[in-house]
Amino acid sequence: MKAYRKYFLKKLGWFAITFVFAFVLNFTLPRLMPGDPVAAIVARLAQGLSDASGVQAIYQQYSELFGTNKPMYEQFFIYIGNVLRGDFGFSFSQYPRTVADTLKSSILWTIGLQFPAIIVGWIIGNVLGALAAYLKGGFDKVLMPLSIFASNFPAYGMAVIFMVIFGVALEWFPTSGGYGFDLIPEFSWNFIKSVITHYQLPFWSIVVIAIGGQAIGMRSMAIYELNADYVKFARFMGIKDRKIIGYVFRNAMLPQVTGLALSIGTMFGGALITEIVFSYPGLGYTLLNGVMGQDYPLISASTLLITLMVLLANFTIEILYGIIDPRIKAAQAD
Amino acid sequence: MGKILLEVRELTTKYVTRFREDVYAVDHVSLQVEEGKALGIAGESGCGKSTLALSLMGYYFAPLHYISGDIIVDGRNITGMDPDTVRKAVLGRDVAYIPQAAMNALNPTQKVINFIEDVIKVHDLGADKKEIYERARILFETVGLPESVLHKYPVELSGGMKQRTVIAIAVLLSPKVLIADEPSSALDVTSQKMVIKMLMRLMEDGLIGSLIFITHELPLLYNVTDDIMVMYAGQIVEKGTAREIVFDPLHPYAKGLMGSIIVPEEGVRDVKLTAIPGAPPNLKKPPSGCRFAERCKYVQPLCKVTSVGFKELDNGRTYRCIFSEAELREAYQNG
Amino acid sequence: MKHTLQQVFHSGKFVIGFVIFVALMLIVIIYPLIITDAPLTIIAQGTFFKPGIYVNVYDSMNAPKYTLLLEDADAKRIASRLTPEDRQAMKEWLIAIGIPDNAIDIEDTAQLLGLWETHFDPKMQIAGMTNAKRNYYIRLNTSLEGLLATEGAIIAAKNADTGALEEKGNVGQSEFVNVTQVANVRVLPLGTDNFGRDVLTQLVTATRVSLQIGFIAGLIATLVGLTLGLLAGYVGGWVDDIIMFVTNLFTVIPGFVLLILISFSIGQERRGATTVAVVIGFTSWVWTTRAVRAQVISLRNRDHVNLSKLSGHSLVHIILNDILPYIASYVVMAMILQISSGILAEAGLSILGLGPRTTDVPTLGLMMNWAMIYQAHVLGKWWAYLPVLITIALITFSMNLMNTGLDQVFNPALRD
Repeated sequence: MKAYRKYFLKKLGWFAITFVFAFVLNFTLPRLMPGDPVAAIVARLAQGLSDASGVQAIYQQYSELFGTNKPMYEQFFIYIGNVLRGDFGFSFSQYPRTVADTLKSSILWTIGLQFPAIIVGWIIGNVLGALAAYLKGGFDKVLMPLSIFASNFPAYGMAVIFMVIFGVALEWFPTSGGYGFDLIPEFSWNFIKSVITHYQLPFWSIVVIAIGGQAIGMRSMAIYELNADYVKFARFMGIKDRKIIGYVFRNAMLPQVTGLALSIGTMFGGALITEIVFSYPGLGYTLLNGVMGQDYPLISASTLLITLMVLLANFTIEILYGIIDPRIKAAQAD
Repeated sequence: MGKILLEVRELTTKYVTRFREDVYAVDHVSLQVEEGKALGIAGESGCGKSTLALSLMGYYFAPLHYISGDIIVDGRNITGMDPDTVRKAVLGRDVAYIPQAAMNALNPTQKVINFIEDVIKVHDLGADKKEIYERARILFETVGLPESVLHKYPVELSGGMKQRTVIAIAVLLSPKVLIADEPSSALDVTSQKMVIKMLMRLMEDGLIGSLIFITHELPLLYNVTDDIMVMYAGQIVEKGTAREIVFDPLHPYAKGLMGSIIVPEEGVRDVKLTAIPGAPPNLKKPPSGCRFAERCKYVQPLCKVTSVGFKELDNGRTYRCIFSEAELREAYQNG
Repeated sequence: MKHTLQQVFHSGKFVIGFVIFVALMLIVIIYPLIITDAPLTIIAQGTFFKPGIYVNVYDSMNAPKYTLLLEDADAKRIASRLTPEDRQAMKEWLIAIGIPDNAIDIEDTAQLLGLWETHFDPKMQIAGMTNAKRNYYIRLNTSLEGLLATEGAIIAAKNADTGALEEKGNVGQSEFVNVTQVANVRVLPLGTDNFGRDVLTQLVTATRVSLQIGFIAGLIATLVGLTLGLLAGYVGGWVDDIIMFVTNLFTVIPGFVLLILISFSIGQERRGATTVAVVIGFTSWVWTTRAVRAQVISLRNRDHVNLSKLSGHSLVHIILNDILPYIASYVVMAMILQISSGILAEAGLSILGLGPRTTDVPTLGLMMNWAMIYQAHVLGKWWAYLPVLITIALITFSMNLMNTGLDQVFNPALRD
């Protein structure tokens, strides 16, 4: 247990370092660009906003938030202070709403959609990949090209195809939004039903993409393990194939968990675009609105939140991995 | 002459590559191992000796396929048996195997004791957990391994320790024949010595009936084995006692193999030089004449066309070459 | 080398991928030689014209006329104007005014039209009928007028002096023109997009630009990844520590977040195709670094490397002669994947509205973005997005197949 605590603390430290680094990047990248960001942003903004006092308010608010007249390090601490208070400033495109207000709801939608979809896709993909490696033959020959195709197909492509087939042509499910446009979010049967039907298409298109990639990974991991020396030794010690398959799949599964930790960022990125295709009210859609409305504070806050979510997911997986893989525990015991 | 524990007659097996090509890596190989004796098999890498080791188990799975020949273990021909019977009745009990890369021969995510339990259970040797543990503990004590190893994951063991654990598990059911494929090649010198010593002890203690030891290092075989066979391109090219083969090789390949062993200088220990120029032939299309002809210093036009059989000397030593013993000795004298 | 190539082309997967890829490349190279139009020229007034052959009506009038007597000509003409839905609607109207159901056979065109002509009255008010529906019936009625007539249509022109219409010609029902003799015919195999631009011409250019973006991005990612991986793996020590620290950071921080931040910061005006490619390249080198490092570490202590070290060769010499050749196949495979993910990354960025600026060249991502903004997928205008998706899929699929094929040849452990 002491060993595991060491592992946990090490991962936690690494998580903290990465987050600080990501935070700094999020702060500096836009500032590395030549020109005065506030002036440029307000100039863009002034075109879209007719309310002159609104422009003025944002300019002041933003100059304060950014403190562009102050030295860089001071700006940085002002930024940290604001972020810690959950203050991301006003949204340009949805003034006078604040960024925090805009993001509050979209985070929940994104978490509710993406994590279940990625996990379900991961599980199904791993089961199929393991079966393909073990059964070979026809099953493998059909599944593998399909998986390669699915994993190479862009996420939004799958979303569009799903929408056209199941939404537009068959009219089984609605094509956009997180719930019926005529409803207001509340705890009623009608609303929940609407949320569930709106959930299906984005959910399954993320799942299918995830299945493809995971199935391929699991299959080659399993084939690699099937060729490992311990398989040979166990076979020649007379161990039954079924038992050996048990060893192999457990061992092939473990790298897949790490694989999930490493690729969750990429999967998340693809899923954000799926949200956009379905106008799902999550972070991806918010990000799109931010880009469309040249809404810098919104983009900056969204990317920071996305990074934080990916890092957290990654951290959680690593922690779970430490529990299930004895090799980690063993390595830590030394 | 002791009891013959393993007799192999004209065994031929093949590999099928990914591109559906057949590679005859073991071609009409015959051998005998007596009780209490150790047989060495030598050859360069790629000469088919590891495939021979796998083929001797009588249990085949893709990409290795059985073609013809007999394997007789302690009077019982196992080549005709149903694979499941071979698995249960022969593997581990009559014939055991230590793979080449013993470093990875244990499932990394399973404790040593759990694997031992699996092995004993699959052979229907009954026994509850306590008995199995007791049996494993005694065995480990005999082979000089600490009891604590049983509770460890393979990753927690050092290279030498892992190798000895693998050997201990291989001899768990006191096999009549133990086939060791380069069991020491990946280890440092001290661990190598320990492994060799351990194998010798096991023979003396009667935990294994006989030993087949496969390596590319001829001098090592001299210390360990009684007889040596030299293998080239899927075929046996020379058979004799360890002393004969190491100090007085007849076949030009065996001669070359001995010559290729150099005493390494300090600091270049990993570097091995091949004194035999060229590489073994492609076994997808083996040459019709002598397979070594392409690389042989003493090659004659005839070598490349006629297939060469074994010549047997009076003392029972055999080799596969068109030259007579006298001719070969003369050639070696003249360099 | 020759043997390796033979092996590579022995792999079915590689060959299929290679053939698809070469076919795409050939189209990209040859098509612009034949169709020389600029890809972003607006040629159509209106959005989303269906794929097909567009024949100039005015020029058809002046083209030589031929009479073809085709039996099904009348039937086809009527069918094109009177769809089954129209027939059903006509039946409903007739029933509504009191014609018995069994007296109407919608399959019998002559009888249906006869009933319609005698009973239809645009002024009649039918209970429960919306205004829109009534207008539909009026439009339908106008289009049906003269449907069963057998005389031709008269072409008339205004007399410049009197302003009166004068007959210039008469087009009979069985008169044809030969398409090749019509002065202006435009084939639009994939129709037009929301701006009225030829989708196919655009698609070919977009494929070329996207491939270029992929190549530049892949090349940069591979070069950066290779350099860092070689340094980390071969030099080791603190160099390795620093490189791996940075690599681990960028593995966890999602690349697309950086991509979004950087692309947004650059701003629309300065975001050319090349800039986007460079940004993609510099945000996606981590995987190559990790992989190359792992390979180099396993090579570092091989005999031939040690021999080379003992012979006193320089670091550069050893890396170029004793390390690189052994990881070359791996690097090539990694680069193929980088190219294909670069193409996907561009498309993803474009959908977010952060792709290359839209004024000079199309990319696959931009085409997708336009189609999405104009709701092509909801409106059923498949030609605006499906060919783009298929092209993206073909490119990535072919590259992945080639990669898998190479993998089978160079990593025999992964047998199947």
